[in-house]
Amino acid sequence: MQIRPNRRDFLAGLSAAGAAGILGTPGSLAAEGAPETTTIRLKQSAAICFAPAYVVEPFLRSEGFADIQYVDAGLGIPSGEVLARGDLDFDITFAGTVVHHLDLGRPVTAVGGLHVGCYELFAREPIRSVRDLKGRRVGIQSINSSAYFYISIMAKHVGLDPNEDIEWVTSPEGSTALDLFAAGETEAFLGFPPEPQELRSRGHRRVVLNTIVDRPWSQYFCCMIYGNAAWVREHPVATKRFLRAMYKAAEFCTAEPEAAAQQLVDGGFTEHYDYALETIESVPYDLWHEYDSEDAMRFYALRLHESGMLNSNPNTLLADGTDWRFVNELKRELKA
Amino acid sequence: MLALLTSSTLVLAHEAADQEEQRLPTIGAAPDFALTSQDGAEVTLEALRGKVVAVTFIYTSCPDVCPMLTDKMARVQDALGPDFGTEIAFVSISVDPEHDTPEVLKEYAEALDADLAGWTFLTGTPAAVRDVAHRYGVAVAPAADGQVDHTLLTTLIDRHGTMRVQYLGYRFDPEEFRHDLLDLVNEP
Repeated sequence: MQIRPNRRDFLAGLSAAGAAGILGTPGSLAAEGAPETTTIRLKQSAAICFAPAYVVEPFLRSEGFADIQYVDAGLGIPSGEVLARGDLDFDITFAGTVVHHLDLGRPVTAVGGLHVGCYELFAREPIRSVRDLKGRRVGIQSINSSAYFYISIMAKHVGLDPNEDIEWVTSPEGSTALDLFAAGETEAFLGFPPEPQELRSRGHRRVVLNTIVDRPWSQYFCCMIYGNAAWVREHPVATKRFLRAMYKAAEFCTAEPEAAAQQLVDGGFTEHYDYALETIESVPYDLWHEYDSEDAMRFYALRLHESGMLNSNPNTLLADGTDWRFVNELKRELKA
Repeated sequence: MLALLTSSTLVLAHEAADQEEQRLPTIGAAPDFALTSQDGAEVTLEALRGKVVAVTFIYTSCPDVCPMLTDKMARVQDALGPDFGTEIAFVSISVDPEHDTPEVLKEYAEALDADLAGWTFLTGTPAAVRDVAHRYGVAVAPAADGQVDHTLLTTLIDRHGTMRVQYLGYRFDPEEFRHDLLDLVNEP
């Protein structure tokens, strides 16, 4: 583990000095009304790709939030379920997974894309492409996990039937899909930081697809910011301010990757500074202005529909489960 | 005849919608401030009413991103020609007021070739600066070795004191920035 001291010890500095004292009193931005609530709950996660969510605290404070909580939702419990029952206000996940939650009738609302990537498909010989997954043992944490949906969509995209052509191997309790792949029990594995870094540290370097660079995946937001539907509906000002804070945090990750990586370590989101830095430097966090959140959701919803994985009409799901007003307003108001 | 009138009305409505779409958004009233300039004078946003104003937050010992932002603004200053100073004002507020005294700011401005007829560098008490930064949506926090972490955010304010658009970071297109300033100058 490498932890480099860094001058921009942002979160630690805030904790030591008292964030409210440094950043002023909450709710004082005059341009819009104050947020309807000054409390916001985000998910405590180990997924490094969501770095903006872990460095967002000072930006949230400057938007008027005073009580910022990171909730440990519990391992293996989908955040959509936690959001739906109101124990979390916002989270980030793969767009296809958001569509799945909507299909289950969970009251969640997608409000904006965060980033492209950062999944890597590791595979053993002789697998050289997604098409070669036919008849292979592919490891996933569970059916209905984000990796399951993403691999299914990838498979469908190259003409495979994910239900018939792939032998899915779920992880038994106490084990992970990464462990199964590393142990040779599966032949392919779709990893999300820090998993790719962890696999490489164990000598597994064979990647056949990287969603940051490989088309068409690199052309769409992977991960969506989504919230509890009632929270979004009842707190439109707070939602917009939250989203603005997230995009400021994303800009911070792009401009100051070393500082952001150190904050992830200081905040207890990862122990591995080098994993965090590698991830933050490789993920394009600055595409929120350029890429179309609605287009990404539609792309993945249609692919899931084609794969027979949706019970509902995708257009209905998107109409009921998305609200792009906030990101569209921010694209006009906050140039980058 | 009725069809012709309806068609004309629709065209006009479309044109009006297009113009509205092209117009910079209206975010809300820009927060006022009263801070001290590089010359030791008190400057308020209210006193700049009637000009298009770009407000940004920097500090003079910032080693990396602030100089890039300020250099970009200096190039826009040059490109604005006679409108700069008469119609358009730049305001750079220090987020390190304990170090950035009026004298320090003046040296900084001169080193940058900032045209002080249209560009004001401001400082104040730490509490006053924190308050202004916060009200503009800028997060500020001291870092371990004397540096100051802060959001790089530049706000354009129209002649009437309304916040119209913000630029995040330092990599924005200076030509778009100049264009937005001139659009605001040309608004009624």
